[in-house]
This record gives sequence, structure tokens and C-alpha cells, in this order.
Amino acid sequence: MRTVKERAELALNNEFLRKAVRFTTERLRDGKRKASEDHGNWEEWRERGRQIRLHTIAHLDYYLNRFAEQARANGAHVHFAETGAEAVKIALEIAAHKAARSVVKSKSMVSEELHINRALEEAGIEAVETDLGEYIIQLAGEAPSHIIIPAIHKNRHQIAELLSREAGEELPPETSVLAGFVRRKLREKFLSADIGMTGCNFAIAETGSIVLFENEGNARMVSTVPKTQITFMGMERIIPSWSDLEVMATLLPRSATGQKLTVYMSGITGPRRTADGDGPEEMHIIILDNGRSEQLGDPEFQELLNCIRCGACLNACPVYRHIGGHAYGGTYSGPIGAVLTPALNKNVAEWDDIASASSLCGACYEACPVKIPLHDMLVYLRRRKVEQGYGNKLETAGMKGFAAVTASSKRFHRALKAGRVVQRLVVRNGEIPARIGPLKGWNKYRVAPSLANQPFRERWDTLQHELRASAALTVTAQAAQERMKAALNRRAAKVEGREAADRTQRSAGDHAGPAFVRKEGQTYDG
Amino acid sequence: MMDNEYNAWLKKKEAEARQKQEQFMNRIAGKLKRPRQQEAPAHPFRGAPTYWRELEWGLEERLARFEDNLTAAGGHVARLPDLKAAKEFITVKAQELGARYIVRQDDRLLAELGLDEALAAVGAKVSVWNGHRDEAWIARAAEADFGIVAADSAVAYTGSLVVQSAAEKGRSVSLLPTALFAIVPVERLKTRLGEVLETFDAAGREALPASIHFISGPSRSADIENDLTIGVHGPGIVFALLVG
Repeated sequence: MRTVKERAELALNNEFLRKAVRFTTERLRDGKRKASEDHGNWEEWRERGRQIRLHTIAHLDYYLNRFAEQARANGAHVHFAETGAEAVKIALEIAAHKAARSVVKSKSMVSEELHINRALEEAGIEAVETDLGEYIIQLAGEAPSHIIIPAIHKNRHQIAELLSREAGEELPPETSVLAGFVRRKLREKFLSADIGMTGCNFAIAETGSIVLFENEGNARMVSTVPKTQITFMGMERIIPSWSDLEVMATLLPRSATGQKLTVYMSGITGPRRTADGDGPEEMHIIILDNGRSEQLGDPEFQELLNCIRCGACLNACPVYRHIGGHAYGGTYSGPIGAVLTPALNKNVAEWDDIASASSLCGACYEACPVKIPLHDMLVYLRRRKVEQGYGNKLETAGMKGFAAVTASSKRFHRALKAGRVVQRLVVRNGEIPARIGPLKGWNKYRVAPSLANQPFRERWDTLQHELRASAALTVTAQAAQERMKAALNRRAAKVEGREAADRTQRSAGDHAGPAFVRKEGQTYDG
Repeated sequence: MMDNEYNAWLKKKEAEARQKQEQFMNRIAGKLKRPRQQEAPAHPFRGAPTYWRELEWGLEERLARFEDNLTAAGGHVARLPDLKAAKEFITVKAQELGARYIVRQDDRLLAELGLDEALAAVGAKVSVWNGHRDEAWIARAAEADFGIVAADSAVAYTGSLVVQSAAEKGRSVSLLPTALFAIVPVERLKTRLGEVLETFDAAGREALPASIHFISGPSRSADIENDLTIGVHGPGIVFALLVG
């Protein structure tokens, strides 16, 4: 697997992807803003949502047990799987006993976690994703790049090409034609499938019911037509009652797409009743742990289990909006993925550095309908990684050095003084362009500023006078602006020249170009 | 023979699951550093905020809001004085859209409409869903141009129709046909989602049907370049006929 940096670089060089992700996330974010304003008292609802989730998780043994007992009383078969592999094994056993040849699936993040499609295909069973977006990326052999809109990264021409291959004829890149083809094609699949697989948005403990939110109707198809239904459910999906569902149904669609409610919200309570003319004759619910229980009792991460998978944090995140879902490298992307993926994996050695790819701005927390402090969790993850010895060695040394220098003001001033002398070797026109040592990463896309000849602290007395002399102020400001403009022009001309020279030296595989250059060097003093 | 073997396997799986279940619950309690919670805990945050539960609109406002919301989601709403008008409405639409096959629930309200004769008169073949009779019901619904249901309730705040499954009320009727017609007697129209959801808590597990669907517009997707498509898998046309 590539590193986070490489995956991000790949995404940043895909112009369509960047535009599509930006457009989609902005559309969803605006929708959410309008829907929450329109509903009113949003903070009170968020707090209510949080309280319900906190309460449920704090008593998860009672509620999960209750759900399992009630679901059995409804006639469903309930299974418990500690790991993804166990869940897959149970599903395959059911399929084998049913002599199943084909499975239709509705969108489910849990099943993405399990890689169930691959397992089914290896067992010679056709697995068809039936959500339009999921179907498209299944044909492309890719993973979802957004929790709500999985094929966000594909344009209509690519989609038309994929579907044309499936249709055996040339389909025009028109949405209505493409969707019409998928409707006909998947109808056949629904009607001939042996097993329907669903995820589970919420499970109601009191009545043993599962609840599905969707817009297309494919989850209803999957739970209506085939004779056997298998539902995968994360062990934390529980809410106590139908009354609590009102709060979740208010928060989830509004946060995900800005809808008042998804087109379909379905509550399924057991298999079909004896005289029903449709619905599954047999219903299996596979309850999955897969690292979730690791968060219980952990004060820093327990709230992660409150997540209702709305994707609002993705749409709010400035990092996600630049690099898209695939750069996260796991099943879950965006801020929730950056935290959930490592949290579900006990082995710190296997964590990549996605938790470091964040400015910790807290936009995810602001957007979260159940107020999960994701930005704090990113910091906890970084700390744990360093504490357990998996940090960047150079960075650790640097931090130690920084701590030693800044712990004493004398040492700090001495270091700055020395820095001002030593930097003369590398400063060119007030900047440090050299890509050496710790400056390598920073200077790849920017230019580091030099240390000022006279540090801010030493200038403070004079500055105070200047501030007080308000009459002189305007003149100073104008002069400063002119100086700044001149400096910026100089820098722009020089950077372009340097980039042109660099390009000729670099291999064709390296994508850095003028569009990539960020001029973010600011001046700061000691 | 095969069945016996399968049932034995299911029994074995259940025994395994029950064992695993105990492990799960003990692990949860252990992680939470307290003994197993055996009794239902007091749930002080149940349901929507108090102010919200007090909200109740008058009939006219409920009707207006329901229409606004369902229409905004791409559905159609007609306000009709009585069942006779509903029958005429559906018959005219069947003629207009050239409906050949129609499936409806075996609901008393719909039977009283006398729809079947009227629709037969305009050349449509009507199937009346009833699981007590042997028939390829799913195929009947899949071939249908229209599905006709009587909504068990409706919600003004979200523009939702609520349909519950039963032997006489297949889930497929509101799902597989090209167009869905739902008759909603106005007294079944509630203000909030919670008014309907609370009745399921009150009814309890044993009284619940296998499925309950809240339908808030035509089937839709924006998965191709954010371009809205209607009728992806479910009905692309949804009519709510508010009667009374």
C-alpha cells in the first residue's frame, strides 16, 4: 500500500476528482446548513442525539442483549462475530446451506469493512452491489470514496464506458439513459437473487427491529424479494426505542444530504409473517465487533461509537475536500475514517500517518450531529503513536531539541542569535530556499522565511511608540504595503524561475509544476 | 432430510451464537469496568426534545405542509373531497398514462372504492394482493404500472407516507410498480414523525408487522455527477391523494 502522502499526491493531480469532490461536498454542506437552520434549535437536537448515543453505549450490554433476544423472538437468526473474518465465515456458511448462486447487496459500510464481495466471488457466488453509485464502482473494481456518494470520483463518461461494457452496447453519457439501464439490469438481479444482504443504520433494542435509510429503494428490494436476508450490523448501531428514532431520523438525513427524511426509511421486524406474500422467509442478523469494543471504557475514544455514519464531517473537512476519500486508504474516509481506521486496529505498528494529515481545525466536530470531538481524537492518536515508539525518529529528536531550547529563555535567545549568524549560509534575498534537513518537506512547495535581523521582542519598545503615534500610522502602513508588494513580486518571479529550472532536472514521473507552488511563507520573528 | 439437516445446523449455530453473545456482553461490561447491566436502565433522554413533542398543527396546516414537503421531494399531492373523487382521479390517470397492469392492496378502504370495475372499464388488469391466496405476487407487482395502497398514516413535517406490511398488504405494492398511488384519509395525517413512531413503542414487539416503510417521494439518486435521477429502483411517480 502506498503512503498517505503518495495517495494524496495522486488525488491532488486528478483535476476532475478535485473539482468533483469540492462541488459535491459543497452541495451537501449547503444542504445540511439549510436543513438544520430550517429545522431550528439544531444545537438542542445535536445535544439530544449525543445524549441518546452516550446513554446507549454506556449500557450497551443491556441494550445489545435485549436487541438480540427480541430479534430472536421475532423469528430472526442472530449471530455474533468478533472479527470480520468470522462474520464472513458465517455468511458463507449460510450461503452454502442455501446453495446460493447470487447475492444482491444494498449499501453497507460494515460489509465494505468485511470485503464480503471478494469472499463471495471466491466461493463462486455472484455478488451484486445495487446502490447506483456502489454498482458503478463495483464495475470499476474500486472502493467507495465518500460514505454517502460512493462514486463521487467518477465522471459520466467513465460511467457510460463502464455501463456500456456491461450492456454490450454503446450507451450515451446521459444520466437518465444510464440510470434506466441500471434499473432494468438490476431488476433482473433482484428477481433472481437467492440472498439479499443489507447493512443496518439503527437497531431498535425494544422490538428487535432494524432500520434502513435510503433514497433509491434498493435496500427495500434486497429485503423484499430474495428468500433469505442477511443483515450485517456493527454492535454499536443500537438505539433503545422507536421514540429515539425520531431524533436520529431528524439528524441523519439532514446532516448527510440536507433532506428532511430519506425517500425510504424502513423498519424491519423479523422475517415475513406466515401469510405475507413477500419479504424474506429467513432473516439472519450478523452482529460484528471487529475492534469496536476496544473503544469501550476508553475515555478518549468511546464517543467514536456514537457515530451515525452521516458523512457530514467529510463534507466539512478541508483536507478531505482536497484529497478525496481514496487517499485515506481505508474503508472509512474523512475525519471519521482518519480516527476510526486506526482505532479499530489495536496494532499501532500498522497505523499509517493519516492522523497527521489534519490542521486540527475542528470543522468536523462542528458538523457532527452527535458532537464527536474528532479533532481531539486525532491528537490522541498522534500521541499514542509517539508514546508507543512509532513516531518519526527525526521528529522526536527535533521535538526534544525544541523542548530543550524553549524551556529556558536564555537558551532560546542564544539559539536565535546563533541562527541569525548560521542562516547567512543559506539565505537568498531574505528567504531560505534550500531543501535540506528539516526544511526539505516545507520548502518543496513553499519558501521558508529567514529569521529577522532584529527579533520582535527587541523591536517591541519601538513598535509601541509607533502604534501610539497614530498620525504617523497611515504613512507607515502605506510604506509597509508598498514594501510588501515589491517583495511579493520579486519572490513570484524568482520562484517561477526556480521551478522551471527544477522541472528540467526532475524525472517525468514527478508532477510538481507551477500550479503546485504555494507561496505561504510568512515572516515571523524570535 | 435436507431440511432436518439444515435445522440441525441452525440449532448448532444458535447455540454457538448464544455462547458468543455471553462473551460479547461480558466483554462490554468488563471494558466499561462494571458488572453486567441486567435490568433496563433509566433512560432520561428518550425521544425528541420536550418543546418538539408539544408541536401540533391544525388540519389545514398539516395538509399544506404535507403537500409542500412531498412536492419539494418530487411527489404529487391532490386534495380530494371523498373516495369517489379518488376513484375518478386514479381512473383518469390510468387512462392518461396508459396503465395496463395494476396491483393494489386488499384493503377495505380500497375495496369500498369500487376501483377494480372502473379500472377494468378503461382496459387495465387489476391484481388484488393477498398472501392467503397462492399467486406469484412479486411478479404481479413487478409487471404493474400502478401500485395502489391505503397509507396507514402520513407525516406532514417530513411529507411522508407510512405503509405497514401484512398478508393483504405486500411490501412490493409500494415498491415495484412504476407509479405509486397512496390514499390518505386526512384524519391519518399527523404533524410529526414521533407521533407515528411512538405508536410502535406502545404497540410492542409482538404487534409489529414485518416491515414498516416511510415513503417521502419518488425513488431517487444523485450518484452520477450529482445529477438527480428519479425512479432508480422504486416508483418514479408518487401520488398522495388526501381524502376528506
